[in-house]
Amino acid sequence: MQPTLSVQIGPLILENPVGVASGTFGYGSEYEALVELNALGAIYTKAVTLAPRPGNAIPRIVETPAGMLNSIGLANPGVEAFVEHKLPELKTRRAAVIANVAGASEEEYLAVLERLEEAAGPWISPPEGLPISACSARTGIDGYEINVSCPNVRHGGLAFGTDPIQVERLTAALRARTRRALIVKLTPNVADIAPIARAAEAGGADAVSLINTLVGMVIDVRRLRPVLAMGTGGLSGPAVRPVGVACAYKAARAVRIPVIGLGGIMCADDALQYLLAGARAVQVGTGTFVNPRTAEEVLCGIRAWMEREGVERVEAIAKMLA
Amino acid sequence: MEHFAARVLSNRQIAESWRELVIDWPAQAPEPGQFLTVRASPRFDPLLRRPFAFAGFSRERCEASVIYQVRGEATRLLADLAAGARLDTIGPLGRAFPPPGKGERALLAGGGIGLGPVLFLAREFARRKREGVATGEDGLSPALACFGFRTAASVPAIEWPEGVRIYTDDGSAGFAGTPSSALAEEDAGPGRARIYACGPAAMLAALAALAKSRGWNASLSAEQWMACGVGACMGCALERADGAGFLRACADGPVFERDDIDWAAEAARAAR
Repeated sequence: MQPTLSVQIGPLILENPVGVASGTFGYGSEYEALVELNALGAIYTKAVTLAPRPGNAIPRIVETPAGMLNSIGLANPGVEAFVEHKLPELKTRRAAVIANVAGASEEEYLAVLERLEEAAGPWISPPEGLPISACSARTGIDGYEINVSCPNVRHGGLAFGTDPIQVERLTAALRARTRRALIVKLTPNVADIAPIARAAEAGGADAVSLINTLVGMVIDVRRLRPVLAMGTGGLSGPAVRPVGVACAYKAARAVRIPVIGLGGIMCADDALQYLLAGARAVQVGTGTFVNPRTAEEVLCGIRAWMEREGVERVEAIAKMLA
Repeated sequence: MEHFAARVLSNRQIAESWRELVIDWPAQAPEPGQFLTVRASPRFDPLLRRPFAFAGFSRERCEASVIYQVRGEATRLLADLAAGARLDTIGPLGRAFPPPGKGERALLAGGGIGLGPVLFLAREFARRKREGVATGEDGLSPALACFGFRTAASVPAIEWPEGVRIYTDDGSAGFAGTPSSALAEEDAGPGRARIYACGPAAMLAALAALAKSRGWNASLSAEQWMACGVGACMGCALERADGAGFLRACADGPVFERDDIDWAAEAARAAR
């Protein structure tokens, strides 16, 4: 039996459940020499903001036990440069392209999404049941991931993502402006992720992705100062995986829309933990830095596991947890 | 760039606290200034790949070398690798030293553990001289190639290219002094020399200032922590001198030109 690997996220069918996480993969071309981009289910782009952002003061990264802290600060060339320089190349990708959108205010999120909608043109609905990768006419953007969870910017980011009322309002406003898949990326930096996930669902999101990074700090005890210029950063890597799996488990039981799990996935078993916890798809982030072929290896491993266990569809994995 | 399991050919101590790792290199030939990243452990602590500048490359034997200092857990693990071991390797990465312009004297300066990329460049000049391939002003050799170390104990026991000058702070080996002071004695006119350097941030700042005051070009190899090494994560940013944001050490560098980076600010940051 050949398992079916495709998964549906709102109007979008991904060829397989394994994507590469925003902020860890640039716009795809950076890794083209090392990664078989066509093997990926989805590429989540570096966050796009309205104006160019140079990013935070340096140093921006530091290694931690089985993890790393980053404080990049959404460094990106802005939506106009994205449209001009990145979109043409993204149209040529086989993998689904999910544009990650960030803003400091509701107006900024809306302006970015509207500009991207205008540049990519109307959503072309694929023939029934066909994964986006099998479609000939591609627009360069197959969905949006709304970043309401960046811990490294003063405005927007976490300020939105920890407040269910704001999450619902922002999601609804974005929903009204696109027919493309709308994914809201959630933060684990809350007491309970369930109300936030429900708010995204109530606002009309097609899925929630989680987790973004956990706020952390490393102090240099010789120099008597935080290592990162901004003081704190976002923790990622295998160290956060149990937190991510728990969040996916909670969110999957709080909403009917699909959950996309990420956080510390380094191998297929890690991804399977998320799928068993209730996620329908996964993203590989920091794992790509360590081994650029992590996403490919995760996909191979999921396929082999499904064959071995006699599981026909990815969605069925969520029902297997005891 | 390629990702492969390199075979360790040798891994030996060459100075008080530095080692030279030689691996087979079946991939695209690296150029001086470029770097590779390795995964020091198949486990997740230490997690990130570590970048090292190439210190040499043999086309005949398809071997590449790096010089490293045992500083933390990752380099301690590297030091334990014996000949025959496999090492998860990606490279070559980053921007190489540009060739000297027409009429430019090449002035090479390597400081401390930053000697690797400059040594590779000096070796390339020597190779081209042997093979009669034109480079630089006289077509065949750098006008000056100097390497500075603290003491005789930190001078690597390696085969140095012909004509290289060794400096030590205390005069216990080679000349007493620093590569920077040696370069300051050069009398090339504006536009007639290009400094190639890698070393401590303070040394790079001094050389950038020297180059500016003389009207020379300078190609300097910078250092920054890296996560991806391929230009994706924006983690290894360095401040642009023109205030217009940042450059990535991995993909825009690690070799930058004199006016790309605020070298004095980098030195101040390193001294904090």
